[in-house]
Amino acid sequence: MTASQPARSVLRGRRLPAGGSVAMIGLRLVIVHLCALVLQLTFFSQVRVAGVAPELPALVAVLAGLFAGPRRGSVIAFCAGLMWDVYLSTPLGLAAASFAVVAYTLGGITEGLVHDTRLRTLLLVFAGTAAMVTVYALLGGVVGQRGLIDDRLPRVVLIASGWNALLSPAAAPAVRWAVGSGPARRRTRRREPPASPLKER
Amino acid sequence: MAVAQRSWRSHYRLLLLILTAATLLTLDFRGFGPLDTAQSRVRDALDPVVSAADAVLGPVAEVWTVMFTYNDLRSENERLKDEIDRLASADIRDTAGQDAFERLLDATGVTFVEGVERLTATVLRDSVGNFDDDVMSIDLGRREGVVPGMAVVTSAGFVGRVETADAASSTVTAVSDPSLVVGVRLLDTGDVGLGHGMAGDPTRFVVDAGLRWPETGDLSELPAVGSPVVTAAGSRYPADIPVGRVASVEPSEAGLTQLVTVDLAADVQDLGYVTVLLLTPADEPPVGPHSPFPPP
Repeated sequence: MTASQPARSVLRGRRLPAGGSVAMIGLRLVIVHLCALVLQLTFFSQVRVAGVAPELPALVAVLAGLFAGPRRGSVIAFCAGLMWDVYLSTPLGLAAASFAVVAYTLGGITEGLVHDTRLRTLLLVFAGTAAMVTVYALLGGVVGQRGLIDDRLPRVVLIASGWNALLSPAAAPAVRWAVGSGPARRRTRRREPPASPLKER
Repeated sequence: MAVAQRSWRSHYRLLLLILTAATLLTLDFRGFGPLDTAQSRVRDALDPVVSAADAVLGPVAEVWTVMFTYNDLRSENERLKDEIDRLASADIRDTAGQDAFERLLDATGVTFVEGVERLTATVLRDSVGNFDDDVMSIDLGRREGVVPGMAVVTSAGFVGRVETADAASSTVTAVSDPSLVVGVRLLDTGDVGLGHGMAGDPTRFVVDAGLRWPETGDLSELPAVGSPVVTAAGSRYPADIPVGRVASVEPSEAGLTQLVTVDLAADVQDLGYVTVLLLTPADEPPVGPHSPFPPP
């Protein structure tokens, strides 16, 4: 019995993602989450452009939606948001809900697409982060949080999304490794060669 | 059929996540104790990692800060040079050493609250996110007796309140935060009201509840511009901590109440040190049927 067999037997027929056992993927996700969170809390609390820092937990959430699909991606995004919520002054669950909804939507929209170009990933990260920050602010406004929706919001959305897009080439391989997804280009289906008329004979 | 089933499962999972988030939001709003404790434990567990990373990455981040705030530093340097020249021209060279010492004492000594134990804290970092500019972390926590709700001050006046207290650190919500409501008293008129920070302007505070516009139209009943504003005796915080000075007084839209804009006494941005008043806050909220403050 190999180490991965118990996990496999628990799943009973569920298809495991390529790249390792559930426990291994969980461990890798924890590592990536923690690295993003610690970087956000330390380095990027000081390194800002026009007073705006990147949103690394949102970056992890967007990439999880892109690489793991809507089902797994939304759960990973929820966890990233929940960890981020622990450190934010807004109520617990606000970032988690925003990240999960956007990662699910993004994952659903792009499920059939191939993100094998950096430019496409970069653009999707920009759009995804913009959506996450906006949904977070709007949801915060709905639950009565002051100071989230004001003149600063468009600036924060644009700069944070730009930051995340710039950082996506570095973060994408880490998230892809963590979610156990192979390089995106492997997803492309090879076109079957036309059947040889000789064989039919 | 299989595709539809998978799609339903997928929606079902998202629904579960949203319900979980809604439950957490509700519990957090209601101040569910175990949830706060769990968050505090997570922060405590990660604190050594965050501190170690801060020690390693801090100098690198400093380089960025220096690069992009060079002009600010230069203008600050020039301002300080002017200040030195001004002091020199006042012929205080002989007593400069003594004077500097006394000014240092003034900067760290809080004189407006008597009989309250206090601790000086170092500000570890300002906001970590993009929407919490009015939140800072300090290096005092539960071990030193800090609990949520305690008042944080500098020698200039009220800075904010302790929002969360972990084992070795705490977060402080600054008075400039629009969601932090503070009960204040206007010394000129003796009226009490409720105020909060102004979004987008960390130097201002507005008192918009509890102050009636004079029915007679006698404007002499309004507080004078420049008159002091302090914390009220019925607020959550010790009384008579300076909050600021009245900058303007206007009628509200309905014309029934006053909107008093206050210039905050304490600069709540880029603070290096603050003082925590170790006075356990009152449980009573500043609004309610028994509150000294009229409802907004």
